[in-house]
Amino acid sequence: MKIRDIVIRSGRSLKQAKARTILTSLAIAVGAFTITLSLAAGAGGRAYTDQIVKSNTDAKELSVTKTQPKNQQGPQKYSPNLGSTALSSELGIQTVLTQDDILKISKVPNVDSVSPDYNPVIKYITRVSQDKYIASVSTFSPSVTLTYAAGSTNGDIANNEIILTEEYVGALGFKNAQDSIGKMVEIAADKLSAPVTAPETKIFLFKIKAVSSKSGLAFRSQRSLLISNTVAKTLYDYINQDTHSYNYFLGASVRVNSAENADSVKNTLTGMGYTAQTASDILGVVNTFINVLQGILLGFGALAILTSIFGIINTQYISVLERTQQIGLMKALGMRKRDVGRLFKIEAAWIGFLGGAIGSGLAYVVGTLANPLISKALDLGDIRLLIFNPISMVIVVVGLILVSVASGILPARKASKLNPIDALRTE
Amino acid sequence: MIEVKGVTKIYGKKDNEFKALSDVSFTIPDGGSVAILGKSGSGKSTLMHVMSGLDKPQIGQIIIDGKNILKLKAKEIDKFRSRKMSFIFQSFFVQGNESCYNNVSLPLEIADVSPSRRRKRVEAALRAVELYDKKKAKAKELSGGQKQRLAVARAIVNSPQILFADEPTGNLDSITGRVIENLLFNYHKKFHVTLVLVTHDPELSERCDIQIHIKDGVIDEIKRKKV
Ligand SMILES: Nc1ncnc2c1ncn2[C@@H]1O[C@H](COP(=O)(O)OP(=O)(O)OP(=O)(O)O)[C@@H](O)[C@H]1O
Ligand SMILES: [Mg+2]
Repeated sequence: MKIRDIVIRSGRSLKQAKARTILTSLAIAVGAFTITLSLAAGAGGRAYTDQIVKSNTDAKELSVTKTQPKNQQGPQKYSPNLGSTALSSELGIQTVLTQDDILKISKVPNVDSVSPDYNPVIKYITRVSQDKYIASVSTFSPSVTLTYAAGSTNGDIANNEIILTEEYVGALGFKNAQDSIGKMVEIAADKLSAPVTAPETKIFLFKIKAVSSKSGLAFRSQRSLLISNTVAKTLYDYINQDTHSYNYFLGASVRVNSAENADSVKNTLTGMGYTAQTASDILGVVNTFINVLQGILLGFGALAILTSIFGIINTQYISVLERTQQIGLMKALGMRKRDVGRLFKIEAAWIGFLGGAIGSGLAYVVGTLANPLISKALDLGDIRLLIFNPISMVIVVVGLILVSVASGILPARKASKLNPIDALRTE
Repeated sequence: MIEVKGVTKIYGKKDNEFKALSDVSFTIPDGGSVAILGKSGSGKSTLMHVMSGLDKPQIGQIIIDGKNILKLKAKEIDKFRSRKMSFIFQSFFVQGNESCYNNVSLPLEIADVSPSRRRKRVEAALRAVELYDKKKAKAKELSGGQKQRLAVARAIVNSPQILFADEPTGNLDSITGRVIENLLFNYHKKFHVTLVLVTHDPELSERCDIQIHIKDGVIDEIKRKKV
């Protein structure tokens, strides 16, 4: 018997048991739905982080920290040397970079410049006859892609210039972003070492160079106001001078003279007791996280499919029992054992195809509808977090067809081994 | 020519052994008609199954066109059955959920006949049993007599050399039975097809060239019609 005729006949017998066919394939559809969605989420997540890291980092830039002591169980023992080089942060006690470290790193071949992460903690930002607002300030980096609501930078900003974010435009009493460009703002900072009885506060003046707009590609920290590296240091110095943590830094960014040398500099730094991360390292860390999440989702999908395998086996066994006479007749008419088996395997394949197509089709529809909602909820702008790759969808469907055929093997074998005389005796 | 030589068929094992056929031998010329007669349980159906290769006897030979079909491989017996023989059963065995057309087309699909050639032959077979207008109807919608006519169409569609019928009129009233009988005998005469019938009906067996009487698995008597 020709495969084509077997396919048509098996399709017809499935149609005759519509409810059963659909219910069995729905079980597979659940698995297909989960798997297709998790593949889409994984692909979308990786593309998203890839974009983020690419537009926020530079291949020439390394982010460097001191390598943390390993195998540390419980609190660290005090030692006089350690005391000054450990800084407590939100992450716990961390070994930090000192001025010595910065100097050492800057002498590494191929390193252009080293700038410690200043992150000065300011008191407030305000403007003449406006309210005061708290804000976070960080260093402008030319390698970070920003989108601007108004104004722009030509690769760098001057020491008296600042880049605002959109939220501060209205708060500081500007009509719109364009209106704020060129106007002055005041930043107040406290000298931390000043005695409580005689606090010292200084006002720094900045001209608004540009207003950055919200972008789904920005790191959280890029929600902060941006100033030049030099003035960040000025602020940092004013705030932290004479405190015990002055000139200890959690990290620093190192500029290498060319992207090709980034890896060799990284290796040198590792040898010197520093941990250096390139843009692709950071991407790798984030992607590992996404892969783990995706793996968990895929696991649920696989579990659903595992259950549906028993559904298929059961359905096909019942089908064989119900059609004993038909099988007997076909064999009496000279149908080959192999073809009888194929008839049932192809039926299983149809069920797998149906389930796969329903499940991944539904996932596609749901995902496409959900994409804008997710982007809105997570404030990602026009970035899509679910990316459906037609090839992986085809692979899912084909994979499910194969799984179904495999589940159909036992019932199909039962059918092909049926003795036609016994089969025809049943009335 | 079909030669049955010393066929013994045993069912069950050891303590439970049952000899359904013992040392059965006879020959049927090409284009002959045979009636197998006997009481219920005497081994008529078993004999028919053995002759068609559906069942294997422990001892003996079934020689059709000079070949011992019991020595053929499964694949070759299947091919033999799909090209050279056909069956009609007492309880029809038509597939209720399939259309009449697809019921009749099944043997041709099994025999790898191309779809274009199938159509002509299926339609001719349906016309021969006067069911052409029911072509698209589901088989389960047919009456008993119509079902058996459909089974006849399915049996003749692949132009077999041998037609086996196990009590083809057993489930039908005498008038409807007569219609089926006539269909079979006309086909047998017209195309010179060997007809092997299992029957209880004396009138039907009268119409056959050879009558084989079986009793408890042993041939009791073989009557040949004088020409
Ligand atoms: N698979 C089997 N296992 C055991 N015994 C069997 C089997 N098939 C048939 N028999 C026995 O073989 C004998 C012959 O059976 P068979 O079906 O050939 O009878 P029959 O002459 O066709 O009867 P009927 O007219 O009732 O159809 C019976 O006694 C039956 O019980
Ligand atoms: Mg019988």
